[in-house]
Amino acid sequence: MNSLLKKLSVRSPWLFRINAGSCNGCDVELATTACIPRYDVERLGCRYCGSPRHADVVLITGPLTARVKDRVLKVWEEIPNPKVTVAVGICPISGGVFREGYSIEGPLDKYIPIDVNVPGCPPRPQSILEGVVLARKIWLQRLGVEE
Amino acid sequence: MVDTLLALLHMIIFPGGVFALAVGFFFKGLDRRFEARLQRRVGPPLKQPLLDIAKLLTKETLIPNTASRTAFLMAPVLGFAGMAVCAAFIPVPGVYHGLTNMGDLLVIFYLLPVPAIALMLAGSSSSSPFGALGFSREMLMMLAYEVPLLAVLLSVAMVVGKGTGAGAEFSLAEIIRYQAAAGQLGFNPIMMPALAAYLMFLPGTMGVAPFDIPEAETEVLEGPLLEYGGPPLAMFQIGSALKTFVVLGLGVALFFPGTLGDFWLVNLIWFLCKCLALMVLSLTLVKAATGRFRIDQAFWFYVKYPTALSLVSLVLVWVL
Repeated sequence: MNSLLKKLSVRSPWLFRINAGSCNGCDVELATTACIPRYDVERLGCRYCGSPRHADVVLITGPLTARVKDRVLKVWEEIPNPKVTVAVGICPISGGVFREGYSIEGPLDKYIPIDVNVPGCPPRPQSILEGVVLARKIWLQRLGVEE
Repeated sequence: MVDTLLALLHMIIFPGGVFALAVGFFFKGLDRRFEARLQRRVGPPLKQPLLDIAKLLTKETLIPNTASRTAFLMAPVLGFAGMAVCAAFIPVPGVYHGLTNMGDLLVIFYLLPVPAIALMLAGSSSSSPFGALGFSREMLMMLAYEVPLLAVLLSVAMVVGKGTGAGAEFSLAEIIRYQAAAGQLGFNPIMMPALAAYLMFLPGTMGVAPFDIPEAETEVLEGPLLEYGGPPLAMFQIGSALKTFVVLGLGVALFFPGTLGDFWLVNLIWFLCKCLALMVLSLTLVKAATGRFRIDQAFWFYVKYPTALSLVSLVLVWVL
């Protein structure tokens, strides 16, 4: 029974977005392009949710600036387990164009374990959706269930 | 003894409990599917609401340190319990005549706001400022949409009471019996404003766009539900599925309780079809076509249009 629930659970990944000092480019591609009806992220069972407590897949954009670092870590801690972290854009990976800037605390995986990287500046909406699909696979592994 | 057992059976299996849950979840799935089709996309599978519940059951439960623990955990159970009892009072025309034979319309009127009150309790006990904001919005919405609901129920009770000579008839079984003899109230020109008011009441009480103001995720981060996750949130969703069945079933009983012949299965399917039509008309189409009102716009909308329409019906019943 429990393993059946776990197996079914990955078919309802609710998305939550954290902006870690992003330039807003990835946020536009994410919230207002990939999550609109045209690309139909709901067919994967996804729902865009406003509260970190509801989230399963957390999408983080931005190079993690010094100002926002503590808040990002705090919000990320608030997301109940099991959760999967997807870094969207090149900034969380390397800092992107902001690399070695005076206010940049990244890369993000110094502080948060990243499960999926979606590179691009900004990434295409299709690749963000692919990142969500990959996150489902990682979620299954984390629950310890064979697909 | 047998009566008590039978009443319990009605609450647990049909039409409350299992049946109402199945119908509620099926309708919620259909609702999301229809909305997707209206936006020219595929949409989630029909069983998506159940998958959501399965997911929420596997997540951990987090309770904020500053929250009032008992109230925080009891709120979703309260909302669910209110609707589970209420569902047993909903008659299925030609199949089931309701739990009691007198005054059940009043009981339903008192039980219908229970989920909203549970949501308010949830918002205020979660100790989050967004929860408090959601609480005040939910309360304003409730004040606005309860008035037209009362006027609609009163006008139905009056028109049936006038027909049977009882003054005002608050028994749903009697209301259905009257309509079987004298024609359905939804086709009665006097009652059409009341029907319109009931259709406007539905999105408000179900908290869907354009009236999803208390749980607006982009403004107040889901408001009262902000701090909920895992099984308690699943409880809220189960309560909401039950409420879908209750408000749609009540609408059918009040305005379109016609039956097709005497065979119970045909009548049951006919009842579900009418519920579905009511849902698509008043919830899905509206949701897919609109954005979100501000709280003051929603409040004045309810004070102006549904209240006026339902009062028109009430006065017409009184005068004619």
